Amino acid sequence: MGYPQKVLQIADDIKTMKIRGAGRIARSAAEAMKHAAVEYNGNPYLGEFKEYMVNVAKLLISTRPTAVSLPNAVIYVLRSLKGRGSFEDARKAVISYAEEFIKNSEEAVKKISEMGAKRIKEGSIVLTHCHSTAAVEVIAKAYREGRVLKVYNTETRPFLQGRITFAHLRKYGVPVVQIPDSAVRYIMDEVDYVVVGADTVTSNGAVVNKIGTSQVALAARESRVRVYVAAESYKFSPLTLIGELVKIEFRDPEEVVPHEWLERHPGVKVLNPVFDVTPPEYIDAIITEYGVLPPQAAILILVDKLGWTLDSIKYSDNILGNLEKIIE
Amino acid sequence: MEISFRRYTGSELVFELIDQLVGVAKSNDPELFPRKLIEKYEKIMYERPASMAALNILRYIANYYLEHGFNGLIEYCSKLRSEYDSMLWKSADVASRRVNSGERILTNSNSLAIRRLLKLIRDHGKDVEVYVTESKPGKEGLLLAEYAESLGFKVYLMVDSAVRFFMKNVDKVFVGAEAIASNGAVVSKIGTSLISLIAHEARKRVFTVAPSLKFSYETIYGELMKVPEGGVELILEPGRDEELPEGFTARIPLYDVTPSEYIDAIATEHGLIAPQAIPLLLRSIYGAYPPVIPSLHELFTKLREKHGLR
Repeated sequence: MGYPQKVLQIADDIKTMKIRGAGRIARSAAEAMKHAAVEYNGNPYLGEFKEYMVNVAKLLISTRPTAVSLPNAVIYVLRSLKGRGSFEDARKAVISYAEEFIKNSEEAVKKISEMGAKRIKEGSIVLTHCHSTAAVEVIAKAYREGRVLKVYNTETRPFLQGRITFAHLRKYGVPVVQIPDSAVRYIMDEVDYVVVGADTVTSNGAVVNKIGTSQVALAARESRVRVYVAAESYKFSPLTLIGELVKIEFRDPEEVVPHEWLERHPGVKVLNPVFDVTPPEYIDAIITEYGVLPPQAAILILVDKLGWTLDSIKYSDNILGNLEKIIE
Repeated sequence: MEISFRRYTGSELVFELIDQLVGVAKSNDPELFPRKLIEKYEKIMYERPASMAALNILRYIANYYLEHGFNGLIEYCSKLRSEYDSMLWKSADVASRRVNSGERILTNSNSLAIRRLLKLIRDHGKDVEVYVTESKPGKEGLLLAEYAESLGFKVYLMVDSAVRFFMKNVDKVFVGAEAIASNGAVVSKIGTSLISLIAHEARKRVFTVAPSLKFSYETIYGELMKVPEGGVELILEPGRDEELPEGFTARIPLYDVTPSEYIDAIATEHGLIAPQAIPLLLRSIYGAYPPVIPSLHELFTKLREKHGLR
């Protein structure tokens, strides 16, 4: 049996990176799961429907094997099949879980901004690194409430995402001053809070984020400045629970120095890692849509909110081969 | 228009300054020389207030001129120049002895002291891997990487944000200095204090290569070292056609201060010492602590009064 055209389209768009960003990928995948259930035209048998949904899930997850939010969204929806007594019951459950996931995801940033803003005292100076929508929303909300006087933002070499953050914060009227990445410790004296986003949160509460985040956090800790990470729950990585390391991509050296420079200097190797890992002890709290968490409690989100029950963890090193068992 | 002093490293500035002053001294013009001397002093205080080696050189030359006039002035300047040159080589030599073949060292910016250190490591027949940060603003790290490459070392270049990522690969950190304060704190290129903090966290040794002429006498009497900041233009990416966000503002500090507890030792021409033992070193050089040395303020006030200059 084939899959609905829209499902195939979404899978393809995720694969070709037409759909990008952790949030959009997750919501699109949930949308595809919902659509697959709505458009199901096989026999109205529970067993057959379950098998079909597992196959759709496999198709979606395999489009971007290293994305964190993707399997989170798909398995969240797939888990709705567990313990269903009839085909109709199962189909309804898939649709409502998918809708619930999308709604939660859309509201996540808003909730994070509200909770995050409360953590910032009146008249504070905040430092942020790179560009994170969740972090900017926290800071902007806090600014509207009179909690933020000024923001220092790093320019974030090599890609200068700091310029985007600058414009984003200015749009909300927040006073921003940019600093070079090397000036983080110099400026930390004046700073009250560090607010950053996350690419991935691991099961022990370490945060994988833009290169430089871990040294910002270290400098903050030295100065007793609180570090908050704004992260939607679908950024928590289930695979890390079974010891999987988060792979850190090294990008093109030409992002750091021009092509001609590289050609003239064959003896210099330019190393350009995209992310680094901030250990949980340098993070005061991770602000998720479910609340403000100590980073060490990351496992709670994984187990309770993402549907990765302790039982199914043992399959997670081979998700694709074990999706059936997750819904048994 | 005169070239900004900011383009030189601290040690290059010393040589440049002496050469410029010797050029003026050749005129034997008692109007011109003190005026130029004061001009240089003011320019350094404005552009490079933390460049202690240059300021100390001015201290010596102003003092000599007040006592002896043009008598032997050029010879005195030349002697200062060659003395500084040899103390810089010696400091680098002391530091080079702490490096073992096969080690991986991390450094930043493009200080002459570090260049000489690398040269001596090579001359001593040792092979090392060199990790260099690009060192924004200025990106002088690219020049140092280029130099290390020319010496035949394996060189790794990275952005300033990647220091903590790579610190675990590194054995030792070597940095240069603009100034050393009386409590052992070191003023260096912006980012050095962050690198030192990261090295400290990873239990890697940090060595500062700095001749004793970089010592700031004024700090003995409580003076705070001045760390200049530059304008927005310093953060721009040359060659990158960049449209800055509306209302763009930036703060670009050029140097920072590394506290003595993050520095394992300072390699000076008198040997390797703990930063906290700076007073001891000065006592052995000058015979007393605090050393009996005229303050810059005193000297230049005298010079101005004597020549009726404001």
